[in-house]
Amino acid sequence: MKQNKITLVTSGVLLLIFLCMLFTFQVRQTEVAVVTTFGRYSRSVTEAGFQWRLPWPVQKVYWFDNRLQTFESKIDQLTTGDQISLVISVYLGWRVTNPKLFLESFNGDITKAEQTLEPIARNAKSVLGSYRFGDLVSTNQAELKFDQIEKEMFEAVQAQTKSNYGLTIESLGIKQLNLPDSITTIVFERMKKERETLVSIYQSEGDREGKNIKAKADAAANAIIARANADAETIIGEAEQKAAQFYAQFEKNPELAKFLLDLKAVKQSLKEHASLILGPQTPPFNLLNVATNNSSSSTR
Amino acid sequence: MANNPDQPDSNPPPADGTAAPKPPDAQERLRGVEDAGAQALSEALRSTSTIVKVLMVALVAAFIFSGVFTVKPNEVAVKLRLGKPVGVGAGQLLKPGLHWKLPYPIDDVVAIPVGESHTIKSTAGWYAQSPEDAATGRKPQPMGLLRAGVDGYTLTGDGNIIHARATMSYRISDPISYWFNFSNATNLLQHILDNALAYASARFNADDALYRNKLSYQETVQSRVYEMVEKLKVGVTVQPREVRVDTEPPVDVTEAFNDVTRAQNQGDIKIQEAESYARGATNRAFGEASVILGGAITSSNSLLVTVAAEADRFAKLLPRYQANPDLFRRRLLAETMEEVLTNAQYKLFLPQRADGKQWELRLQLSKPPEIPKKETPKPE
Repeated sequence: MKQNKITLVTSGVLLLIFLCMLFTFQVRQTEVAVVTTFGRYSRSVTEAGFQWRLPWPVQKVYWFDNRLQTFESKIDQLTTGDQISLVISVYLGWRVTNPKLFLESFNGDITKAEQTLEPIARNAKSVLGSYRFGDLVSTNQAELKFDQIEKEMFEAVQAQTKSNYGLTIESLGIKQLNLPDSITTIVFERMKKERETLVSIYQSEGDREGKNIKAKADAAANAIIARANADAETIIGEAEQKAAQFYAQFEKNPELAKFLLDLKAVKQSLKEHASLILGPQTPPFNLLNVATNNSSSSTR
Repeated sequence: MANNPDQPDSNPPPADGTAAPKPPDAQERLRGVEDAGAQALSEALRSTSTIVKVLMVALVAAFIFSGVFTVKPNEVAVKLRLGKPVGVGAGQLLKPGLHWKLPYPIDDVVAIPVGESHTIKSTAGWYAQSPEDAATGRKPQPMGLLRAGVDGYTLTGDGNIIHARATMSYRISDPISYWFNFSNATNLLQHILDNALAYASARFNADDALYRNKLSYQETVQSRVYEMVEKLKVGVTVQPREVRVDTEPPVDVTEAFNDVTRAQNQGDIKIQEAESYARGATNRAFGEASVILGGAITSSNSLLVTVAAEADRFAKLLPRYQANPDLFRRRLLAETMEEVLTNAQYKLFLPQRADGKQWELRLQLSKPPEIPKKETPKPE
């Protein structure tokens, strides 16, 4: 009896599992599912959880990841409004939002979906045709329309995928912004030229600035010395003014003062290497006059 | 089941299991004939049921223990029952430790590594480099051009080309959004970082992005990443210092950039030289000025002293002069003459001529002043 029960339970459980496999399926939180009956759409499941179904040949279930997926477009060459060629690639963030449409459009194949996204992305890039190169790259922040261009591209892809593929594009960003290969050579040449200009600017700036500093320093030094000279004059002037009070003393007897000054001048001027030729009238040599008269007449 | 008695030993256990209820009747009827066979059968049955019991217990134990799982210290986990997360909001997150679940098709567990820091590198704007070259820092040969899509680079605001790469570290701050909203969040973050580099380059000029304002360039990349992560609600946190940006000029123009740096340095050196000259000149001027002022003070002092002394002397001499002016004059004159004549090198006295005429003197003065003058008296 016991064995019989065990057998029954075991086979019951096995049967239940088997039936569950045939008649139910589950949809995970990260998925959406579509159920088809004899190949024709019957319902979509967007809520996670447990679901009933008819067994395989009758109903078939397709599961799709409903999380955000990323797609990177190939690089494409485009021309801006001012006739400058650019090579650009973008990324898209998209997700399956209508599993029925998604299944019908791509037979549930993500690779096929991405093949469709490629031309959509390329079309969106052509938004660039209505902008100038300077709108995309510029050092003038006010002029830059990078965000606006991205937004317009995003709107373009959204418009193209709105109601026909069962997927929604939720973000778009420029991934790479390059130039056609041959243009890079020209850019290199220009960059070198710019550097050369900078080199000469820096060199002459250094020279000029250096000279400027030197000239300023010289001027400042001269000013300092001139100032010192002026101060020196003032000091001497003041001293002379003070000396004037002593000169008042000399006023008492100008004759003596003159005489003393003369004497001083004579002493000063005849200090060194002086040669004197004295005439007979020069006092006190006039004393000698008589004697010489006699001697000279005798020598004659 | 009918042939059970015929071949008792050849029957496999599963068949015996189904035949099990019958043996009591058979035992009575065929006791004599089948005794040995029945004995063997019942023994087999007994042992089989024991095995089954043990198996059952083992299975139940295995079932219970198979449901135990651990969440590692640096993870959180979400339990999905029939595909649906168990719990609400933050309650969905299972903390590190031991947990229990039902076997697979019913319950499933998703572990999300929130504790560790994840790193993403963007090399879309960097030149193609083999791992060995990257390790040794060897740069590619200049080719005169860059191939779009092969040699990565970014366009700067002034239309120049620079290489730029970035490394970013992040932590998962909202595991539910990170896991349930993005099929490959890492991939998305990579695109966001690439985009931030292109975005930042587009608004900087090459010199700023490369040298002068690299920090600000890095900050622009960083804030763009923040903005996009916030906008798309990726559920990660990027720490400010965990976005690092590296920029380099293309190898074709590296030399030109180096020339600029050299010229800048030379210019700086010239300015430094000029500045040190300026410091010297100012110091010299101050020195000279103090010499001039010192001299002025000294000479003004000596002037005052001299004049004071003279005045003093005058005051002393005056009474004596007034007593006998002529004598006083002669005495002073004589003193002076004595002094002057002692100092003089040549002294010539010309006595009065007999004929009462004047002497005619001719002086030949030689140029160098240090040689004493020569006078040649020439009698007519």
